[in-house]
Amino acid sequence: MSEAPILVVDDDPTILATVSEALDFEGFPVITATNGAEALELVDRNWPSLVLLDMRMPVLDGWGFMRAVRERGLNLTVVVMTAAADARRWAREIDAQGVLAKPFELDDLLGAVMRLRAPRPCPEN
Amino acid sequence: MSGLEQLQYLSWLLYLFVFAVVLARTVRRPTRAHIDMTLFFGATAIVIVATTLTEKFHLDVPSWVNEELIPAAAAALGYLLLRLVNDFSHVPTMLLRAVELGMLASIAAIVFAPGSISAGVALALVLYLVAVIAYDAWAFARHASRSRGVTRRRMQAAAAGSWCLAMALIIAGVGIVVPSLAPPLEEVGAALGVGSGICYFVSFAPPTWLRRAWQEPEVRAFLARAANLARLPDMRDVVGDLERGAADALGASGAKIALWDPDAAQLKIFADDDAVALPSLPHSFQQQRPTLVTGFKRADAPSAALVELYNARAILAAPVTAYGKRLGVLLVYAPRAPVFASSDLELIQLLGDHVAMTLENRLLVDEAAQVRAREEATRLKEDFLSSAAHDLKTPLTGIVTQAQIMRRRAQRDPSAPPDPAGLERLLEQSQRLKSLVLELLDVSRLEHGSLIGERQQVELAALVRSVIQREAALWKRVKLRADSSVVAELDAPRFEQALINLVENALKYSQPPLPVIVEVWCDDGEARLSVRDEGIGIPAHDQPLVFERFHRARNVDDRRFAGMGLGLYIARGIIEQHGGRIWVESTPGVGSTFFVALPVLDAVAEPADTASEQVIQ
Repeated sequence: MSEAPILVVDDDPTILATVSEALDFEGFPVITATNGAEALELVDRNWPSLVLLDMRMPVLDGWGFMRAVRERGLNLTVVVMTAAADARRWAREIDAQGVLAKPFELDDLLGAVMRLRAPRPCPEN
Repeated sequence: MSGLEQLQYLSWLLYLFVFAVVLARTVRRPTRAHIDMTLFFGATAIVIVATTLTEKFHLDVPSWVNEELIPAAAAALGYLLLRLVNDFSHVPTMLLRAVELGMLASIAAIVFAPGSISAGVALALVLYLVAVIAYDAWAFARHASRSRGVTRRRMQAAAAGSWCLAMALIIAGVGIVVPSLAPPLEEVGAALGVGSGICYFVSFAPPTWLRRAWQEPEVRAFLARAANLARLPDMRDVVGDLERGAADALGASGAKIALWDPDAAQLKIFADDDAVALPSLPHSFQQQRPTLVTGFKRADAPSAALVELYNARAILAAPVTAYGKRLGVLLVYAPRAPVFASSDLELIQLLGDHVAMTLENRLLVDEAAQVRAREEATRLKEDFLSSAAHDLKTPLTGIVTQAQIMRRRAQRDPSAPPDPAGLERLLEQSQRLKSLVLELLDVSRLEHGSLIGERQQVELAALVRSVIQREAALWKRVKLRADSSVVAELDAPRFEQALINLVENALKYSQPPLPVIVEVWCDDGEARLSVRDEGIGIPAHDQPLVFERFHRARNVDDRRFAGMGLGLYIARGIIEQHGGRIWVESTPGVGSTFFVALPVLDAVAEPADTASEQVIQ
């Protein structure tokens, strides 16, 4: 039984790669998605322990993703990760548990993950 | 008293009343028109009074009254009426002189004829009078058709009165030729006399209430229209509409509004495409009260649009002042003086006040627009900063995090090999950050007008070809068509930047393998360059805006197409600072073509092959 992964959602491939590398280096399992729709598919299959969520993305944005999550009755821990000036307000809007305003420090990223991740086993398919 | 007699007395009373009114007016203000009116109605009064005394009251008057005074006064009527026509409208001088001579000849015939004049002379006299008065009637009618408002109605009444008078004279003539027809026609003649009396009364001595009633529809229309004018986009339209309305309300031929220019300390009138200063400040403006003046003294009109004003014989002027602020003066003019009455001074003051309110409202609308524009500019600046900050933060996040990861790796295991993928990401994000910062600096330079450096003569097709060759790896879809060798004076690196922005824009919004075609040619003495794609196109509404900073067309998903929205803005700045133009033609779903036109130094018509050889060498 493996540990539940952290889901990183961002349309910028570099951010995705850098954040994944940082988490991977600290020993967290990571899965990635480049938009809300992809993220929804992964949530269904992987039940992540934490979602690091960019807000402005093509296809399905952060708000759309959260609406769909609620409709499905899922309970996810979410950290908003955005370069917008409205980062905190957006985080409140979607009831996120944390916020990482870009550009963030590696320590902030890892701190938020340590604090908010709900360690639980990944459900076996 | 018979019905016929009643009619005759009525018409005589009318004429005598009009005579009394115009005489009183002439004593008060002896203008040329007033004197002419007094002469005409004086002559009719002589005919009427003398005829009444001899025929009705059978008074014993000297024979010269019947034999000479009455016929002579009657003979003068046509000429005197023609003088009145001349006061309101224009009568050719030759005609005036001819009629004058006719009158003198008639009077001489009457005075020097022994005893009563013969039927033949009387008939000739009547024919002369009918001809002159018919002309007068026609001239009044013509003037009515060219006038507006109250003047039109007054001239219509004068024409109708003159027709009645001419008809009455024809009937008198028929009575002379066929004496048996005289008695039955007498009543018709008397009725026509009453008609002419009433018409002359309302045209030459209209009571104030009648003038007001005639002016009312136009004044009402003016006030109703003035209320909505302040929102017209162009001040010229507002002023033009007010001028037309004021002229109509006063029945004048035209009106002008001269606006106070505080910088030049002059009153200026919109004329043609310019604003023309008045040669002096009217009394009306200086003394802030309405005045009637008799035209500009020997001043030549400074503009074709002002000839009518400068040739006017009568100008009503009223100050245009709102809340004590002197905005200008309203000038309502007519080619002839008697168009206006003294009661019109009150009306023009009312119009002047309304013009002032409308213009003041208009200025407030302008001020509100300026405030909005300033707020919009501030908002754009804030948007610019927040967009710029947002776009800078993304690569910065990559750089900061990546560098910290690498440091952490090195700290944990100093012997671990460097991470090539991480380094690559670090460099890539640094480059991205660098190009964004340079773009922002370019915008700042652009807005200070210092984007373009030193220029050199550049062969345009060769420059474009070299850029395409340099960028070949990413520009596989870009094709060049160069028909001639065109030389322009360019800051080559900046021009390349504009070209790159245009081509990358085309590549971004069109899918592979659709081509992007760059064309260079010479047209109309200008160097032309176009960049054409077959991409998503730009909606018509957005086409004028694509060159604005941070503007993205509505059909652009700004999360799918990355970028700050500064590329076309910078491209436009580069082209315009070269003295060129840039524009776009586009059909959504079909594609877009961006055109650049630059001043050319030298155009050598050469086949494209030659041009490409030059490049390769």
